[in-house]
Amino acid sequence: MLRADADESRLRIAICAGTACRASGAGQVVQALKGYIIQNRLQGRISLQTTGCHGFCEMGPFILTLPQQAFYTQVRPADVPKIMEAALSGGYAEDLLYRDPHTGKTYYRREEIPFFRHQQRTILGASQKIDPTRIHDYIAQGGYEALEQVLARADPEWVVREVKASGLRGRGGGGFPTGLKWELLARQPGGRGKYVVCNADEGDPGAYMDRSILEGNPHSIIEGMLVGAYATAATEGVVYVRAEYPLAVRHLTVALEQAREHGLLGEDILGSGFGFDIRIVRGAGAFVCGEETALIRSIEGQMGEPRQRPPYPVQKGIDGRPTVINNVETWANIPVILRGGAEEFAKIGTKNNSGTKIFSLVGKIRNTGLVEVPMGSTIRQIVYDIGGGPVGKARIKAVQTGGPSGGCIPASLFDLPIDYDSLSQAGSIMGSGGMIVMDENTCMVDVAKYFMNFLKDESCGKCFTCRKGTQRMHELLDDISKGKATPQHLSLLEELAAVVKDTTMCGLGQTASNPVLSTLRYFHKEYQRHVVDKRCDAFVCADLVGAPCQAACPLDTEAWRYVALIEKGRYEEAYQVVRQANPFPSICARVCDRKCEQRCQLGAGEEQAVAIRALKRFLTDRVRPAAYKPPRAAPAGGHAAKVAVVGAGPAGLAAAHYLSLLGHRVTIFEAETEPGGMLISCIPPYRLPRSIVRQEIDSLVDDDNITLRCGAVLGADVTIDGLLADGFGAIFLAMGANRSWTLDLPGEELGGVYSSMEFLKAFNLRGEELAGGHVAVIGGGNSAVDAARVAIRQENVQSVSLLYRRTDQEMPAYAEEVEAALQEGIQLETLVSPVRIRYIEAARKEGIRVETMVQPVRIYSQQGRLVGIECIRNRLGEVDASGRRSPVPIPGSEFSLSLNTLIVAIGERPDSDGLASMGLELDRGGRLPVDARTFATNRQGVFAGGDLVTGPNTVADAIAAGKKAATVMDRYLRGQGLIQEPQIHLPKLFLEPAEVGEEEREHAQRAEPATLPVESRKKNFAEVEMALSAEQARAEARRCLRCDLGFTERDEPGPGRPAVEGASA
Amino acid sequence: MIRLRINGLDACVEEGSTLLEAARFLGLPIPTLCHMDGLSPYGACRLCLVEIGTGAQARLVSSCTYPAEEGLTVRTASSRVLRARRMILELLLASCPQSKTIQDLASAHGIRQQRFRQEHEDCILCGRCVRMCQEQMMAKAIGFRGRGGDRSIGTPFDVTSEVCRQCGGCLYVCPACQLRCTSAQPEEAICGGCANLTPPCIEKDRFDDLMCSLTPCVACEIARES
Repeated sequence: MLRADADESRLRIAICAGTACRASGAGQVVQALKGYIIQNRLQGRISLQTTGCHGFCEMGPFILTLPQQAFYTQVRPADVPKIMEAALSGGYAEDLLYRDPHTGKTYYRREEIPFFRHQQRTILGASQKIDPTRIHDYIAQGGYEALEQVLARADPEWVVREVKASGLRGRGGGGFPTGLKWELLARQPGGRGKYVVCNADEGDPGAYMDRSILEGNPHSIIEGMLVGAYATAATEGVVYVRAEYPLAVRHLTVALEQAREHGLLGEDILGSGFGFDIRIVRGAGAFVCGEETALIRSIEGQMGEPRQRPPYPVQKGIDGRPTVINNVETWANIPVILRGGAEEFAKIGTKNNSGTKIFSLVGKIRNTGLVEVPMGSTIRQIVYDIGGGPVGKARIKAVQTGGPSGGCIPASLFDLPIDYDSLSQAGSIMGSGGMIVMDENTCMVDVAKYFMNFLKDESCGKCFTCRKGTQRMHELLDDISKGKATPQHLSLLEELAAVVKDTTMCGLGQTASNPVLSTLRYFHKEYQRHVVDKRCDAFVCADLVGAPCQAACPLDTEAWRYVALIEKGRYEEAYQVVRQANPFPSICARVCDRKCEQRCQLGAGEEQAVAIRALKRFLTDRVRPAAYKPPRAAPAGGHAAKVAVVGAGPAGLAAAHYLSLLGHRVTIFEAETEPGGMLISCIPPYRLPRSIVRQEIDSLVDDDNITLRCGAVLGADVTIDGLLADGFGAIFLAMGANRSWTLDLPGEELGGVYSSMEFLKAFNLRGEELAGGHVAVIGGGNSAVDAARVAIRQENVQSVSLLYRRTDQEMPAYAEEVEAALQEGIQLETLVSPVRIRYIEAARKEGIRVETMVQPVRIYSQQGRLVGIECIRNRLGEVDASGRRSPVPIPGSEFSLSLNTLIVAIGERPDSDGLASMGLELDRGGRLPVDARTFATNRQGVFAGGDLVTGPNTVADAIAAGKKAATVMDRYLRGQGLIQEPQIHLPKLFLEPAEVGEEEREHAQRAEPATLPVESRKKNFAEVEMALSAEQARAEARRCLRCDLGFTERDEPGPGRPAVEGASA
Repeated sequence: MIRLRINGLDACVEEGSTLLEAARFLGLPIPTLCHMDGLSPYGACRLCLVEIGTGAQARLVSSCTYPAEEGLTVRTASSRVLRARRMILELLLASCPQSKTIQDLASAHGIRQQRFRQEHEDCILCGRCVRMCQEQMMAKAIGFRGRGGDRSIGTPFDVTSEVCRQCGGCLYVCPACQLRCTSAQPEEAICGGCANLTPPCIEKDRFDDLMCSLTPCVACEIARES
């Protein structure tokens, strides 16, 4: 009888020494621990265990002290004394405990940490109690009890029955019932011997659960194989393990020796008469050798190629003898089943999928590592509860399961229970348990291409459809990712993938199409974008993206180019580059939402993006607009047509400007008294001074081809039919979205309740200050924050509260101004979306109270005037389809606010009711749908763009819509086809890069423009943000990584070539 | 004896027969490429696929390696089989268009175009030569090396093998180079399309200036017309 006792009362220090933790320095920590124990003569009082993997590999090395269960992460040798002192006194070294990097919460006991709390760690949990090189540790934890029990019963058939009853299915991915496999082997004649094999040829990129079991608990595998051999009368065991797993091989070798010394292997095991031994065969790393027939050939010493089954390995395996092959995790489950009983095991998980399964969770997720959950848990539980959800702002869009042969499951199917059958129905596979989380910055075409590249290299090449099929699929995917594909590529790809799946010989080929088929099935739109529009929305496919800053800009501004020109001090040329793409450079320099900066490669890593908008502001403040004279097309006699533009916002003005440049005569109809739309009526002057807006608009409207008619309302003063009858060849509708949504609560018509549009327009256009006393603003978008900040600047306002129904992390408002106070002291790094928080912080600094997780339920009035509202608090519920947790009201949490002014800013919609009567079809939100490529509405000759089409959107998108619509309308007026082939705009012009030394690059900081101090902002509307100095600007421009250089060559353009075509000298 | 049903016909074959043998015994044509009488079954070209089983369990297997099983239902020309076979031939044609054998198979299956990027490989890795050398000539002079796209056939370390008797058996059995052997350069080989009445539409320009024994060449004529 094997016996070893674990003294549970004694202080235990467990340190993980798996491969990952060793790489992060566990070795030195162990030495420091040993040193401390010897120095302080603690031998005998403390047991120190170097254990296998705990699973939370990104936070390694760890120390776990027991019995306190204190969990210290990312331990350095210098931390050891503090941890030991705390452990000896039974306490915690608080500052070294695990702290959630996103919430900042400190966790004392390990089991409380969300990553561990939601798991059921049957297999992995054992590893952390065991030093894998000490058999006594394993025995002390009940190891080899299962074997003893089996030998004592002396009934191999009972073992097979137990394993069958447990419902255990092969953990290697196939999901074949293990007990059934054993039964088949047991029935085979054993005259020449039989084999049991442990398949540890783990080859999926990013998956390492088998390695961690072999490293951390090798005896569980040995015990499992012994039981399996006894049940099936096998005579020899083989562990086929990758040579790339040296630690696993070492621990297994030690474990095998110790097992032999203890009479657990060899002849007459534990006096039962049963003989069995295990040898290790190291694989050379071919992925295909994980396939069982290839694995057998590899063990035999031949080339690792699969063969057609039948005969199955159970009939003819290694050297023609019956063989059973099970995966590492399957074997590790066997002792668990026999120790706890098959019935207990079958209770875990779901009906046909019992037990737990280990996944290696990696990718764009907060917590990565090895995760063990009961079968049938949902993907959502793993991704959000254990994994902690997305890292940044980008939404999680898919999970790739099963390694290269698996498929991608979209976020809409995250409630799918994880079991063999559901995954396979969804077009993926369980595989050995790799789980890669992907967000919006992952390109699904690229994912498919990556896996296909892997598979074409790892296909053994024997079977023609697998070898050529994977190669051709990769070729097609490569074309798609490079913009060389036609729609025929997609149909051919799908056809080929289906045939490869159907016709290949082994599992590798049969599943090789999964990455292609599953992405085609769930992300067909992404493929379409690549093929038809030549766009990669995840900014991954380099040949479609070019310089990310340029590709991100709706106006196609060559940001890299003007940044490079600023670096050289060629400011006029730089201004020309900006102006060429954008007729509103000064306005965008202040209020653009900076898509370029969000995509800046510098910001993708540790550093912050280049301050592109601040550089643009520097240029527009410095260079006279006259430096750029737009090239005008000669008014081609026959083509010069009359065009009507309705709405003088950014979209309408841009369209009018470009149509005029193309030689057309444009009349703009504007309902308000002056042009500008949202720029004038909504965006507050402290962000966008009125003089700047007026100056820039005037420069565009002051044009012989453009006539502006203010106070002309569509529907009242003009109609579409009327305009067409008046000889306008085409009409562009761009009236924007300026009608606020209402709360739908009684009392919204009361005095003192305003919509944000009403409130902002009153002030911005007419100077009326509607707010007074105590003000509350409801909403979390830009217009809510604008309204709050305008309100606090008004004379009679005492306080302003901003009420939002989700947490501030979910607020859709984006950063506009950087607060001086924040620069001085507030650390933002640990926050999830610093930009967003910063803006809200800016509002807070100005004295606005932000109240999140509340929503109004009732409005109180007295004598027809608002006196207050009642709100209810929310909690965050389940993650909804948008990837955000939806707010759920908490009953009984109602509270009242006394108010004088209430501003409702929960969103806007186009004021478009009149359009329906003019024969235009609107959607439910009042938007006017158009053809995405041609801006054409359902009426011939009538085009539309801007917020009217998209709903509330950014200034840059509106300008872009006007600009693009102008070219389409020009084609229409000339009688040409409307659709133009999409073009990929890759950087063409070579600009010498600046020489930036290592040191400079390391110390360079993002330049932040100075802002008006908080005190000087109160009760006035002076512009808050200032321009960079020339010195700052040039230093900032030097930080640019110059992504364009990947596409240009030094010799290409002549030296005398101007930076901008059509620029005046 | 084993009884099974092929294309609705009841058949009775000896134990150990393959499905290919059983089908051919019934006179049902199944195209093959890597299969050769006298050599061991290999199952690499996948051309001899047949559909076995019924309903959701139905699947495609290579008939040259699959043993006849009692009561098995086999379909040698179902739409699923033909769809797969045509794609395989299209892939073969895309890689090795100069092979007369492949052209004939392609045209027999009504393949008139191939949609992939044209390659001119001189080997389809069917392994006939390797098995010929090993099983019939008892030499084992050549074998496979590498995997995936790097897989090739040759002697160890590309050194002339001592065990090679230069019998030429490997060339004799090769389906890819039968006609290519008229030229060392695949691009300059005659297209062989002239022997097909419905030649597959490969890149014809390459063959325009080639000497051709037949005038007019049917393939070239069709290419010019279309």
